[in-house]
Amino acid sequence: MQKLIEVRNLNIAYGGAAGWTNVVQGVSFEIARGEAFGLVGESGCGKSTVAYRMLGYGTINSFVQTGEVLFDGTDLLKLDATSLTRLRGNRIALVPQNPTTSLSPGMRVGSQVREMIATHKALPDGMTMGQRIVELFALVGLPDVSHRYPHELSGGQQQRVTIAMAVACNPDLLVLDEPTTGLDATTQRQIIQLLSDLRTRIGMAMLYVTHDLALLAQIADRVGVMYAGQLVEVASGDTLLSAPAHPYSRGLIASIPTMDGAKRQARGLRGVLRRDQMSTGCKFEPRCDFATTACRTTPQVLEPIAGARSVACIRWQEVAAPQPLTLVARTDGEVSAKPERLLSVADLTLSYRKPSLVDKLLGRTNPSVVRDIDLELCAGEVVALVGESGSGKSTIARAISGRLPPRAGLISLEGGLLPPTVKDRSVEQLRQIQYIFQNPDASLNPRRRIRSILTRPLNHFGLEAGENTLEAVLENVGLHAGYLDRFPEQLSGGERQRIAIARALLVNPKLLICDEILSALDVSVQARIVELLRSLKEKHAVAMLFISHDLAVVQQLADRVAVLYRGELMQMSDTASLLSAPLHPYTEILLEAAPGLKKDGYVSRLPAMPASKAAPGVGCPLAGRCPRQVGSLCADVRPPLHATGGGFIRCHIPADELASRTVSPEHKRSAGTDGIRVLNS
Amino acid sequence: MSIPRLLASRVLFSALTLFLVSILIFLILEALPGDVATRILGRDATAKALAVLRGQLHLDQPALVRYLHWLGDFLRGDLGVSIATGRSIADVLGPRIVNTLLLSLFAFTIYLVLALVPAIIQAVNRGKAVDNVISVITLLLLSLPDFLLATILLFLFAVAVPILPALATISEASTWQEMLRAMVLPAVTLAIMMAVYAIRVLRDSLIEVLRSDYVRLAELKGLRPRAVLFRHALPNAIVPALNVTALNLGFLIGGVVIVERVFSYPGFGTLLIDALQLRDIPLIKATVMISAAVYVGANLVADILAVLLQPRLRTSR
Repeated sequence: MQKLIEVRNLNIAYGGAAGWTNVVQGVSFEIARGEAFGLVGESGCGKSTVAYRMLGYGTINSFVQTGEVLFDGTDLLKLDATSLTRLRGNRIALVPQNPTTSLSPGMRVGSQVREMIATHKALPDGMTMGQRIVELFALVGLPDVSHRYPHELSGGQQQRVTIAMAVACNPDLLVLDEPTTGLDATTQRQIIQLLSDLRTRIGMAMLYVTHDLALLAQIADRVGVMYAGQLVEVASGDTLLSAPAHPYSRGLIASIPTMDGAKRQARGLRGVLRRDQMSTGCKFEPRCDFATTACRTTPQVLEPIAGARSVACIRWQEVAAPQPLTLVARTDGEVSAKPERLLSVADLTLSYRKPSLVDKLLGRTNPSVVRDIDLELCAGEVVALVGESGSGKSTIARAISGRLPPRAGLISLEGGLLPPTVKDRSVEQLRQIQYIFQNPDASLNPRRRIRSILTRPLNHFGLEAGENTLEAVLENVGLHAGYLDRFPEQLSGGERQRIAIARALLVNPKLLICDEILSALDVSVQARIVELLRSLKEKHAVAMLFISHDLAVVQQLADRVAVLYRGELMQMSDTASLLSAPLHPYTEILLEAAPGLKKDGYVSRLPAMPASKAAPGVGCPLAGRCPRQVGSLCADVRPPLHATGGGFIRCHIPADELASRTVSPEHKRSAGTDGIRVLNS
Repeated sequence: MSIPRLLASRVLFSALTLFLVSILIFLILEALPGDVATRILGRDATAKALAVLRGQLHLDQPALVRYLHWLGDFLRGDLGVSIATGRSIADVLGPRIVNTLLLSLFAFTIYLVLALVPAIIQAVNRGKAVDNVISVITLLLLSLPDFLLATILLFLFAVAVPILPALATISEASTWQEMLRAMVLPAVTLAIMMAVYAIRVLRDSLIEVLRSDYVRLAELKGLRPRAVLFRHALPNAIVPALNVTALNLGFLIGGVVIVERVFSYPGFGTLLIDALQLRDIPLIKATVMISAAVYVGANLVADILAVLLQPRLRTSR
């Protein structure tokens, strides 16, 4: 195949207060025309730095020491600004990581696409600008949203806009920088599906940067695994996932939570990437299970091995040797006696804005964002709250923690009613519910040392702190006393999240609310935090409300799962039966969207924009999106609750019928063509 | 909030602010020692003459009645009669306001250039020598009192290198070239005083916006640097500077008083000082109310502009 872009021996350093740090070392790879190449690795491994150089872009403090990026024979690193301007967007286009911050906030999205076409004079003959923009939006499965501002679109729609913009000039190469990281599982799958569809239709090459190997399994032809600025393995997607040759690839794959209901025996990764603890030899040596003394001193370079792959490890043969990923049935300790009830939420209804005086006079009511939630949590139990973004998961957590007074409904803890707002709750009640936020960077005070961050809640709740209290809690979350005198910015994301967990644990809460606490972390770090939470649950019998959109993680941790869609509970079930027999159509949709480790030809059943929006609180919120809709009944009448083995479902179709009727292949196929029709129209 | 609703609520708040200001002015002037009738007729006036005048000026009535009377007149556009000159205040104020408006408009135009250009140069070349030099200059000017700056400019361009008139006296007979020449020094002084703070705010917000993801994407779309700067960066960076500009307009009112004095410019500011020195209470009331209205109005405009520049603020949450 014809080479489109070739990276040769790229070395990049970042300048900082402490001098230059090498972030990319000796990276070489090539991408053929029309090929999808994935670059995977933990955060800080240099994958994005490499990707942006494909556009001839680097931050001011980075410096290319050696290397070439040859695109059609010209070195992008030596091009002057004007020639780069001509290439960027036109022949090499970027799909950014975060569409919400990457679209200009004050400009209609249509103008942003128009600007791209106009700058590169890429309007096809015989077409008006308006037609072309509508065509592009249709290509990515959007209606004509030209006149919308970015904030009027959902995250998934915004990402579709950036993709439409990126393909507007029919580029040869699309650079995708973690394009689905901020999106929930179903949207993520739709975007991945859209991208592979676009690839077959337009035939452009892709460089796909991500930390999510499971995603690459769906889209990449070949994958390069990066560790500490070096490529440690390059192989075809299938080969890499089924038989990883490098110990790091192996650990990375083992860290991925999967939905097969079993636990892998292979270990996940231990430790974190620390650039200050690099050996002169193999960079991965400190974390490697296969390391020998030779590894510490001998630098490893990427060497081709059999089957069109290369690996940078002297011991790869032992690593790749059959050591099958045996699946062991998960042994769950049966719950012996029903423990006492800890938290109960009854008929909870929430809305954001209080009705104003005018609204009251006119008898208007604000639409509630969350309706009729009944939830119970026993001591020591982990209940997961799952659903797509915007389903009201965090809103419920806010109400339980007292930051959003409910419009209706009662929240009680250990049988005692909890006052609706934080300021009315007693110190004791506040202590018993602790909250851990999604983003530890934002929830830890950057100007305080860990010691003072941890002492603060102790003082606040007037708790006695012994000599070793802080050290003991740090040990509980897998850190040592040396962290006490550090500042949050000196910690990695995973370590910071551990501190946040430690802070919550210090005051001996009965209930931890974990609000998407894993989504900002790398897979390997995620796997270890899940381990930590499991051990905490067993050791300290602390109950958790675990909010997540990642069903694979939920499966590893939760006892019961509550499935939420647009503010209503669709299903409540124990984890095992939910995964084996999802019953509710929405749960099925969620389960199908979770990516596995094999290319599965997933076809989204959901239109990009739900066609009909049922009036909130009237019919079933899923009406118009549900693959099993029963006529207009669903949109008009509130579905009844059916009791199931481990909980309930809310659906017009009785549970036994749902269980017996699996979706027929014909249905799947017709749903598939539907999806394509959306793209063509 | 929709735009009309937002507009209505902001206008309502502005009106309320002005109402409170009117009460405050009235109370302060009421608390001042001395008696208006005595001041008009002099110390030798007879008690009878004073009483008659007090009656004419409604000074014998309770304060609340007089306040309502004054407010009513004011709202109807009747500003009263100046005690010092005996002329209608509206007649005295009119031409002075026009003069000051001309000066302010001139100053504001210079201000826009003076604020934008250095800030953009700094943000684009952040960390480089030119950035540091401009920073030092703005800091220097920021710490300079306005009358001193006015005097220095006066010395430089009217005395040392006499290319501009030292006194900005204009009259109805002046041609517009004469007026423009006369206004250059006061206008430049005002513009510099306003711009130095705005430059700092604009520089910082522009640097932040230039680091944003959407500016990077705009750059990687292959847009020319000029398009990135003016279409994507500047409109978003200007919002924080807008509030500064609104505050600056407030400064303009205060600055006008001093700068007009230094250059003897026959504007609103000199009139305000005269009114205060002469204890011409109706004139003081009128001038202070008008400056308050200008200040409140400027902030209203800035709020509305900020909403227009940020569509996110437009839709309800």
